[in-house]
Amino acid sequence: MYLGIDVGGTHTDAVALDLSGPGVEVVAACKVKTRHDDLLGSVNEALERILRGVDRKLVRRLNLSTTLSTNAIVEGRAEDVGVLVVPGPGMDPSEYMLCKDFHVLDGAMDHRGNETARLDKAQCSAALEACRRDGVRAFALVGKFSVRNPLHENTLRHWLCHTKDEKGCERADFVTLGHHLGGRLNYPRRVASAYFNCAVWRLYNQFADAVEASLGRMGLGHVRVNVLKADGGTMPLAYSRKMPVQSIFSGPAASVMGIIALCEIIHDSVILDIGGTTTDIAVFADGAPLLERAGIEIGSHPTLVRALKVKSIGVGGDSALSMIGDLVRVGPRRLGPSMAEGGRHPTLTDALNCRGLCEVGDLEASRRGVAAYAESHTISPEKLAAQAVEAAARTIHEETRSLVAEINDRPVYTIHELIEGKRIVPRKLYLMGGPAKAMRMPLFGCFQLASEAPEHFAVANAIGAALTRTTTDVELFADTQKHVMFLPGLGHHENIPASYNLENAKRDAMNHLLAHLADLKLASDAERAEITHASSFNMVEGMNTVGRNIRVKCQIKPGVERTLR
Amino acid sequence: MRKAERSLGVVLFPAFDWAISPTHPEREERLLYTQDQLHEEGLFDVEGVREYKPDVATREDVERTHFCFPDVDAVTTRSHLVSAGGAIRAARLVMDKEAERAFALVRPPGHHAMKCVRGARGFCNVNIEAIMVEWLREHYGVRRVAIVDTDCHHGDGTQDIYWHDPDVLFISLHQDGRTIFPGTGFPIESGGPTARGRTINIPLPPGTGDQGVLTVMRELVLPLLAEFQPELVINSAGQDNHYTDPITDMKVSAQGYAELNALLNPDIAVLEGGYAIQGALPYVNLGICLAMAGMDYSALREPDYHAEALRQDERITAYVEELCRQMPRVYHDPPAAPENPRNGMREGDWWMRNKSIFYDTGGFQETQKEGLHLCGNCRGLLKIESQVDSLRCLGVEIPHGACTACQNLGHSIVEESQLKSAFRYVQLIDRVNKEYSRYGF
Ligand SMILES: [Zn+2]
Ligand SMILES: [Zn+2]
Ligand SMILES: [Zn+2]
Repeated sequence: MYLGIDVGGTHTDAVALDLSGPGVEVVAACKVKTRHDDLLGSVNEALERILRGVDRKLVRRLNLSTTLSTNAIVEGRAEDVGVLVVPGPGMDPSEYMLCKDFHVLDGAMDHRGNETARLDKAQCSAALEACRRDGVRAFALVGKFSVRNPLHENTLRHWLCHTKDEKGCERADFVTLGHHLGGRLNYPRRVASAYFNCAVWRLYNQFADAVEASLGRMGLGHVRVNVLKADGGTMPLAYSRKMPVQSIFSGPAASVMGIIALCEIIHDSVILDIGGTTTDIAVFADGAPLLERAGIEIGSHPTLVRALKVKSIGVGGDSALSMIGDLVRVGPRRLGPSMAEGGRHPTLTDALNCRGLCEVGDLEASRRGVAAYAESHTISPEKLAAQAVEAAARTIHEETRSLVAEINDRPVYTIHELIEGKRIVPRKLYLMGGPAKAMRMPLFGCFQLASEAPEHFAVANAIGAALTRTTTDVELFADTQKHVMFLPGLGHHENIPASYNLENAKRDAMNHLLAHLADLKLASDAERAEITHASSFNMVEGMNTVGRNIRVKCQIKPGVERTLR
Repeated sequence: MRKAERSLGVVLFPAFDWAISPTHPEREERLLYTQDQLHEEGLFDVEGVREYKPDVATREDVERTHFCFPDVDAVTTRSHLVSAGGAIRAARLVMDKEAERAFALVRPPGHHAMKCVRGARGFCNVNIEAIMVEWLREHYGVRRVAIVDTDCHHGDGTQDIYWHDPDVLFISLHQDGRTIFPGTGFPIESGGPTARGRTINIPLPPGTGDQGVLTVMRELVLPLLAEFQPELVINSAGQDNHYTDPITDMKVSAQGYAELNALLNPDIAVLEGGYAIQGALPYVNLGICLAMAGMDYSALREPDYHAEALRQDERITAYVEELCRQMPRVYHDPPAAPENPRNGMREGDWWMRNKSIFYDTGGFQETQKEGLHLCGNCRGLLKIESQVDSLRCLGVEIPHGACTACQNLGHSIVEESQLKSAFRYVQLIDRVNKEYSRYGF
C-alpha cells in the first residue's frame, strides 16, 4: 500500500493505492481544506480519512508534497542566515544581497578551480563574529566556482566550526556549503539556494519531526517517508532534512506525475492543469516532462533548485470576467469565488455554467450575475458568456504557444544539436483540474488537438505524489592536467592519472550515483540511471595537449513506479 | 532581481564539436571557459539579458556576399554556416527590436575571408560580419553601415569585401602589419576609386595598451562615426589585443576592452579572434557583455592583472596621439595611392588591380585580377578573375542600385565567359534582382 499526500494552497489531497495486484487500485481518496496555520493537522486529517478500513501494517510508503517551505519564505517566517560569499572578480555581488548578515569576502577561484586569491583569515573571522553577535545560527558559505574547487567553502566551514563533521556545532546549528547543492554553474543562484536552504531549515525539520511523531502515533512508524521535489522526483525524509530547499514548489510536479500515472503519454504533448486561479502549463517531449534549464525562482530570486518546466498563467475557474471596450477578458484578477458558489462577481465558471458546459453550484446565480454584468456593459448575456469562454481558451492557447516557442528557441552548444535539434510540436492535450472537462471543447477549438481528461483527475496530484520515484543526480568534473576529479554534490574529491578519459568519467559518475542511492537505501532504482551529458575537451598550451577537461552528468530518470492505465 | 540598463541578446555558440585540428588555436575548447564564466556569473538571469541560439546561414546567404570556388559546400563546413548564422541571429534580434544590442559569441571567426573564397585564411573561410551586413541589406533595407574591427589582426577580408562600397565605413585597429599576420592594413589603403576614405586603417605599435586603444577610439573613431552617420555600428570584436594572447604582442586588458565597447557603443558585436582562451576570453567577453548591457564592469579583473606591467611606453603614447592628429585626413581628403597594377589603375573605363592572396591554412597562392567598371551612374559592376594553379574562375557582381547598363554588362560578361569557356566556374551575384547563380562543374 502506497500513500500520497499533496498539501496544496486550498486543499490537501490524499490517496491510498493498493499495488498488490497486477494493476494499481485507488483504495481511498479524499480532499480536506488546507489549514495554513496547522499544516500538520491537515496532513493528519487526510491520513486518518484515507486509512479508514485500511490495514495500517500493509502501508509501506508515504510520499508527501508540502507547501511548508514555500509558505515560510513567502510569509517572511524564514530564519536569519549568515551568508558569507567569496565572489572574486566579475559582477558586483552586492546586487544579490539577500539578507542583513551578508558578507563579501576577499579570495578568488577561477573557472578551472585554481585559487587565484587567498581568503583573509582575519576578515573571515570578523564576518563570522558579526553574524554570531546578531544571533545567527545558520550559515550559507558560498564561493564562486566552488563547484570546481570547494577549498574556500571548506576552509570557511572549518574556521566556523573547527570540524569537518556534517552535523552542526557549538557555533552553528546548520551550515550549507554552496558546492553541496550540485555541480551546476551559476553563482548568484548558488548563493540564493544556499540561503533559502538555511532559511527554512529549522521550520522544515520541526515539521519533519512532527510528521514522524504522528506517524508513530498512528501505527505507521514503519512507513518510509519520501518528500516530493520540484523536478518530479522524491527524496527520502532523512535526506530532505539537509536539503529542505528541494521541497519547494513541488505541487506542480505532483500534478504532472499524476498525469503520467493516469495517461499513456508518448508524443510531444501539453499538460494543462486548470485550477481555481491559475492554469499550469507543462510540456512533454516524446512523453517525458521538460525540466527548467537552470532552476526555479523563489521570491523572485533565481535558484539552482531543479524543477519541471511549468508556466503558470492567471486563468482559472475563479478568474473574474471584465470588459475593456467591446473586449471580454478573463483574469488575471480573482475577485472571490464564482457567483454559483456565492461570490459577488461573475467568473469563468459562471460563464461555463451559462454556456451549459458544466453544472457547478447554483446555476441560476451564475445566469443572474452574468446577465447583470452584461447589461451594465451593453452586451447580450449569451455573447458575454460565449466570448468569456473563448477568451479563456484563447489566452491558454497563446500562452502555450509562446512557451513552446521559447522552449524551441533554447540555446544549444554543438553543431550536432543544432542540426539534429529536435523541435517540439505538441500532438495532444491532457487536461486536469476542476474546469478541465468544461474547457475541453473550447480548448479543442483553439488548439485543434486531440484532448484527454483522465478519470481521477481531481486527485491526480495525490496519485502522482504516491507513485513518484526517488530521483537523484550527480555531476562529475575532471581536469587531467590538475589530476583531480570532483563530484561537488557529494563533496567527493579524488586524484586521477593523466590517462583518465571520458569513459572513465562516465563509469565513475555512474558508480557514485549508484553508491549514493545505496546510501539512501534505494539500490533497486539502478536500472533507471542514465548519463545525460558527457563532454571532454582537449586543453592545449602552445601546440601540445596538456590534459582533458571532462564534464559528466547522470541522473535517475524521473518517473512513476507504476501506472493506472 | 538584477536589471540591465539596455537589453542585450547573446548568441553563444561555442561549436563544441568542431575544430580545424586538435591543437589548432581555433579549437573546441576556445569558448568553453567563456561559457563557464558567463553561466557562473548568472549573466542570463539578469533582467534584459537573454541567450539565443544561432540561425544557420544558407548557401544563398553566403553566395550573396562571396564568390566561392568551386562552390560554397567545398569551402565551408556546417560550423561556418552556424557561425555566420549566429551573426545573422544577433542582427535579427536588434532589427526586430527584441534586444537593443546583440553580441554573437560564435566561432569560427571570419574577418580574413575576402570577397573571393577558395579556402581558409587565418582560421577564416567566410566573412561572418559581411554575410550579416548583406543579409541586413537584403531583408531590412539597411544601407549605411560602419564596421569597426578591434581584432589585433588587420581585417583584410572585410576591407577587401567593402573596398569599393562607399556606404560601408570600415575602420580597423590592429597591431602594425609589419610585425604580424596578414601584413597589411596601412593608412594608405583607404578604399577603391569610388569609395576612397571609406576604409580607415589604424596600425598600432606592438605593446599598445588600454590607454592607446581608448585614445584612438575617443579621438579618432568616434568623430569619424559621428561624421559618417551610419544606420548601424558593428564591432568586429576580436580579443587578441589582450596582454596574455599567445599570438600577438599588445597589452590591452579586460577593463580596456569593456571600456572600448562602452565608448563605441555598437549595435551589434561579433566575436572574431582571441586565443588566450583561459586568461583573457572569459573576462573580456564578460566585460563586453556588461558594457553592451550598460551594466557595471568595474569589479572585473583578470586574476593576473597588474596595472603597472600593462602601462604602455611613452613613445607609443606619443605615436598614437600623432596618429590621431593625422588620420582624419584619410577620411576627409584621402590621398590617392600611386597608380600601378597592385594598387589599381585605370584601363579604359575599368579600374583594374592585381592581387596575390596566400591561403595560410591550405598553403596555396591565388592570383586575382579585379575590375571595377567605372560607371558614373552607379557604384559600378565588379568582376574578379581568380586563378589557383591552372584553375580559373570568374565572379561577377551587379551591385545594389546598379544602372541598367551595368546590369546588362554583367549578364553579357557571364554569358560570354560561358561561350568561351575560359573559366571552370562562374558565379553571378545580381543584387538588383536578388539572384545568385553559378555555372560550371
Ligand atoms: Zn583589426
Ligand atoms: Zn586576430
Ligand atoms: Zn552603372
